[in-house]
Amino acid sequence: MTGNWIFRTENLTIGYGRHALFRGLSLVVGKGEILGIVGPNGSGKTTLVRTLLGLLAPIEGRAARAPGFRISYAPQRERLDTIAPLTAIDVVLMERSARAGALHRIRADDREAARQVLALLGVEALANRLFRSLSGGEQQRVRLARALAADPDVLVLDEPTAGMDIEGEATTLEFLRELSRKRSATILIVTHALPIVLNLATSIVLVGDRGILHGPVGEVLQEGRLSELYRVPVHVGQLAGHRTLVAGRGERHDV
Amino acid sequence: MFEPLFMRLALAASIATGASLGIIGVYLIIRRMVFFGLVLANVATVGAAIAQALGWAPEGPSLAAAIGAALVLGGTGASTWVSPESVMGWAYAAASSATVLILALAPGGSTDTYHLLFGNVLTVDTFHVGVLSLIAAATLLCQILFGRRFLLVTFDAQAASVAGVNARGWSLLLYLLTGVAVATAVDHIGVLSTFALLTLPSTAALLQTRSMRVTFVIAAGLGVAMSSLALVVSYKLDLPAGPTTVALLSLAVPVAGMRKWMAAIAWR
Repeated sequence: MTGNWIFRTENLTIGYGRHALFRGLSLVVGKGEILGIVGPNGSGKTTLVRTLLGLLAPIEGRAARAPGFRISYAPQRERLDTIAPLTAIDVVLMERSARAGALHRIRADDREAARQVLALLGVEALANRLFRSLSGGEQQRVRLARALAADPDVLVLDEPTAGMDIEGEATTLEFLRELSRKRSATILIVTHALPIVLNLATSIVLVGDRGILHGPVGEVLQEGRLSELYRVPVHVGQLAGHRTLVAGRGERHDV
Repeated sequence: MFEPLFMRLALAASIATGASLGIIGVYLIIRRMVFFGLVLANVATVGAAIAQALGWAPEGPSLAAAIGAALVLGGTGASTWVSPESVMGWAYAAASSATVLILALAPGGSTDTYHLLFGNVLTVDTFHVGVLSLIAAATLLCQILFGRRFLLVTFDAQAASVAGVNARGWSLLLYLLTGVAVATAVDHIGVLSTFALLTLPSTAALLQTRSMRVTFVIAAGLGVAMSSLALVVSYKLDLPAGPTTVALLSLAVPVAGMRKWMAAIAWR
């Protein structure tokens, strides 16, 4: 382990080929941090995460990942093919299988661990159901269970609440908060909806048309900075002990 | 019926190709790379056509062509400019036209074109049955030992890479295996039977099962059963073995689809 950081970028420009999605990002993701990466579709959130994970090379600058940490990645649900007749527990077991050697056979203790992590997310009853037959929200929970199956130090979740109902979303976010508190896990959450990470993240990367805001939540969520980034008046407030955002001229909309 | 040696050898070749292509085909289907199998089969025929035009044995050139294409085309990822399907389409068109043109320039071209399309499993000799059996055994062994890895990189290569798995390396191994199996099959059973054995048993199997393990067993079993049955039918009715194999395999898919549909109706 190399100190207290997990990911570090210096003057990072990311994109595909020569097409840059954004430029000049320097950030440090510390151990135990919950980082929200927020921006509209196509802004480069997933590309940033893939660059941090070493799946894509940066166009310019540097992206480093500290060695020695166990990282699990749950990509967007569209990326997972559903033709294969895999059950929910098969999907979860894939993560354990990936961490073991190529010749590893699935044993009873692997199955037990997979069942436990499914139970932790309240979806143990789905263990033997075909993954493709599950609802979007159920698939998301199974995907999260898979990421957790190897007991990771770092969780990277791309749109982890997409397709979930309000209850599922609230339960999942509360679960992640507890996970961070109890296990000091570092969590990166990619989302297009700022409210998802508003009361969960400790720091935020906000990608907008006019550039990137990055820093601790309290620094980023300032009305002036948000209004400039989104080009509409943004109001930051508190409701029932939770941060809320209201944006728009006259009419009120969530950001 | 199986008393003459050539029939026993044909049966052994059918069992070997049915098993290996049935297993590999499942991966091509769940990777949505059906066209990849057709392209490999066609590229292998280019190698065989060049060999025939030059009076060489076809095995070496077709194997080299298929392995080269498997490694190059298998590594073709998504691009901003062109989709993998477009690259496959280009390779298919180029390989098909090259085969016909090469054979047109060679003496006895039209007969060779029919042979390359449908092959003639009845002419396979003991040595080649040995080669096909060896490839079937290697495919089965790879499936038993590395099936989980192949499935892992097929289902979610990115998450596998982050977990430390060499996703590209495992995919290349799978493509290499596909290239070898396709090239050797094409030399004896032709392009169409090879493509049919790659895609139809696995499609029928995926329509029937709720488990990956059972899918592989059914796909290999259907490949073996249908190509062996095709030998019997073609012998009894005096039909060419290649087209009979393709016709029987083509029937397996709608039958499997019908069964699934009826099961869905009964469940409701």
